[in-house]
Amino acid sequence: MQQRRILDEFTINRELLRGNLATPKWWLPTVLGLLVVVLFGFTLMGIMFNRGLGVTGLSRPVYWGLFITTFVFWVGISHAGIMISAILRLTQAEWRRPVTRAAELLTVFSLLTALFFPLIHAGRPWRIFYWITPYDFARGIFPNARSPLVWDPFAIGTYLTGSTLFLYVALLPDLGVLRDRTTGWKRAFYTVASLGWRGNPRQWRLQTVAGILLSALMLPIFVSVHSIVSWDFAVTPAVEGWHSTVFAPYFVVGAVHSGVSAVVTMMALMRWLWGWDNYIRPEHFDALARLLIVVACAWLALTFAELIFGVYSLEAPERALREMQMFEWPWNLLFIIFFLTGFAIPVPLWFFKRVRNNIAMMFWTSILVNIGMWLERFLIIVPGLSRKQPFVFTWDSYQVSPLEWGLLLWSFAWVMMLMLLFSKFFPLIPLFETKESQVFTTDVQIGRVTMPAVIRELD
Amino acid sequence: MATSSLITDAPDDRPSNIESTALLAGEGRTAAGTGLKRFMWLLAALSVIGFVGIVFRFINDDGRQDWGFYAATLAWMLTIFGGAPMVAIAPALAKADWVRPVARIASLGAIVTAIIALLMIPLLFKFPALTEFSEVLGDDVRRRSIWFDSPSYAPHFWNVLILLTLALVGIAMAYVMAIPDFAAIRDHGTGWKQRWGKKLARGFYGRPQQWEWLKMRIGITGALYFAMLLYTNFTFSLDFAVSLVPGWKDSLFPFYHTISTFQAGIAFTIIGVWAARRWGGMNKYVGHEEMWSLGKFMLATTLLWFYFFYSSFIVFWYGRSESDSATIKLLVSGPYIYLFWAVFFLVFIIPWWIMIWNKVRDSVWGPPIAAFIILFGLFLDRIRIYVSSWSAVPDDLELATTSILQEMPDTMWPDVFDVFIMVGLPALGLLSILLVTRLVPLVSLWEVQQSRLITKPVRFLRSHVKLVGKPD
Repeated sequence: MQQRRILDEFTINRELLRGNLATPKWWLPTVLGLLVVVLFGFTLMGIMFNRGLGVTGLSRPVYWGLFITTFVFWVGISHAGIMISAILRLTQAEWRRPVTRAAELLTVFSLLTALFFPLIHAGRPWRIFYWITPYDFARGIFPNARSPLVWDPFAIGTYLTGSTLFLYVALLPDLGVLRDRTTGWKRAFYTVASLGWRGNPRQWRLQTVAGILLSALMLPIFVSVHSIVSWDFAVTPAVEGWHSTVFAPYFVVGAVHSGVSAVVTMMALMRWLWGWDNYIRPEHFDALARLLIVVACAWLALTFAELIFGVYSLEAPERALREMQMFEWPWNLLFIIFFLTGFAIPVPLWFFKRVRNNIAMMFWTSILVNIGMWLERFLIIVPGLSRKQPFVFTWDSYQVSPLEWGLLLWSFAWVMMLMLLFSKFFPLIPLFETKESQVFTTDVQIGRVTMPAVIRELD
Repeated sequence: MATSSLITDAPDDRPSNIESTALLAGEGRTAAGTGLKRFMWLLAALSVIGFVGIVFRFINDDGRQDWGFYAATLAWMLTIFGGAPMVAIAPALAKADWVRPVARIASLGAIVTAIIALLMIPLLFKFPALTEFSEVLGDDVRRRSIWFDSPSYAPHFWNVLILLTLALVGIAMAYVMAIPDFAAIRDHGTGWKQRWGKKLARGFYGRPQQWEWLKMRIGITGALYFAMLLYTNFTFSLDFAVSLVPGWKDSLFPFYHTISTFQAGIAFTIIGVWAARRWGGMNKYVGHEEMWSLGKFMLATTLLWFYFFYSSFIVFWYGRSESDSATIKLLVSGPYIYLFWAVFFLVFIIPWWIMIWNKVRDSVWGPPIAAFIILFGLFLDRIRIYVSSWSAVPDDLELATTSILQEMPDTMWPDVFDVFIMVGLPALGLLSILLVTRLVPLVSLWEVQQSRLITKPVRFLRSHVKLVGKPD
């Protein structure tokens, strides 16, 4: 593919800072629209805190429903950043450059959103404090340090801190550029935020080393976060279908599948909204689709193992659960939609180069994946709890209440609003990465063929 | 090459294409030296000893538990030789240039999978049938297996078929990857090599359409091999280990097995690269860059080994059900506890500590040391898994169909025939690869030449770097 554009630094600055130094016409109405939805969501939360969890569809024995599903979903989306930024940086994939900032940003905002859901799910969020802090020794109430429910806040907190740091370190050179091109309070803000960035060789060296070190450090955290979330379920033998060893990698790979798909969605939107055709090119969608094929196939293998081992045990309750998940109404419909949207429709389409290079097709298929991945989490969490359990004498089927749907909608509006606010103050495509790419890549002529070439370190 | 203004030409001391062709396709490089001949005779002798071990294993057969070491040896060979071709496929799909000189060494591992398929046949005679217990306990009672309602000849026939398919696809891939080299041998070799080169090149003259076909065939056979390797690991690990032990239910185990296969495949390739440099005179073609890149992948798979092991372990540990506890006791804290700790150190702690240092990864001695340690550690790991599984198959019919391991077996120690088998069969695998390298160059000639075309040492400002073309 020969899609590389040769651009000078002036053009790069002008085009990529378009959203920061001026305001696009669509920006304010969109943000205001999203703000309305966000405020509506916060109102729903207030209603729920005031009246209790009875306003949701949660009831015995289904204590975990849409909130926990959405929590797992957003933690999954957060895996986009490190997958794209850290792993592709370490493997020196050149095509990652325009994608990194958006992916890192998605990580931070989706983690922030994910954190809301266990809090509101508690009904009385202030009581979370009791679970993670030994607040009163005299009464002998201690958090259970052996519980994955306690590890969760630590894992997600560490991931959020690391991801924010990762995002900030990569943002420094661009903040320096913005400082030099703004006036007034904005200049003062960027001066403080850029930490005295001048772009001298020492600063570049430190910034590069910090990026590589953070990439390497973030990788184990990236894996551990969703593994720990998966252990919330897997270490619970009492619920049928949850006590499965494959859960940790299954959740991590599923998270990468949904996270990278979310990046594709976001990139398509960025290209359409800001007109960054020179930077986000079909070749980037092509590369992401290839990556997604590999990830989706790995995810399918793990899904297959998860299902087959449910039946393998030859235990009647486990088999009954699988039968319910796949063949009983309404779970069967959800299962079919999950499988079609999570794998069967998008992945075969991605095998075609024309689809991979068609941005609209990539946009819609990436949305399909995330519908499927949300349903996957729902199908893992709810059916297991819906089955009749020993020592539970009352139970009711789980109906998602309008309030819960409203909060799901709120979460999407909240993430989008944060992204748009960020885009007003910071560039969504890293300037320095784009300029570095201009310097580190060139075209080579071999016979009659011209092909792109990149610089690599010699051994 | 058209380059940007910051990139300037640098001296190129790599051997020319003509020189490479002469070196790699010519008589001198592929002919067996005296030392290599002696080594191959030694391997042949060990192979014979291995067969003697199998024969005496049959004669002195006291039950299924005696076949644990045989199963472990086959599993170890599948781990190493089956995993190696993945090194040739995966980075090539990602357009990595460094993999070109090592692709051949890695792809040759596929040849041994055919031998493993044949060696599996004796083991199948000792394999407990799925419906063995039906006459006593009724048709509905059977032991756990992924074959559920027991299709015809399951799992015996299907396991052989799966492994043979893997071997067929692997050999096809190795052959397709070698076709341009056979053409070079036809054009530059003499005697029997030239005759064989002519036959195997199948009219390859390097026309654009032939290259297109070659690229497509490599892609198809590579993807198929990857899928088959995953499937083979799935069925082999479940049929020959997990399903033999009542109560062992571990949906992650096939993936643990596959990850260690990748780890061993990389380790094998690293040792192959080291041997090619040490004794094959390939210093100009394989060196630091390949070791460095392979080292990074080996470090990654080493970390993944730990992740997969821990992910299983913690679920069993927290589950605390009777079957969870019995599984941990059998595989970790029970009769094979010392073996478990040896595996933990040899497969994870020591290689991790060696490979974490960039200077060690970027050396020609560091990765091979770690690779040897890993391969030995994985051998012990296979003993831990397969010997314990084969010794845990209950003789009592009812116990075999329960969901909990009732009787913890004692530690099994190898007898002299097991030692013969453990030494002889891997020697046979190695010998088969060395025999093939009499004809096929150890370093892929066309890959080296293609690399020479699309890469170039250049200067970027003051530093010496390499410009790498990325063909579609």
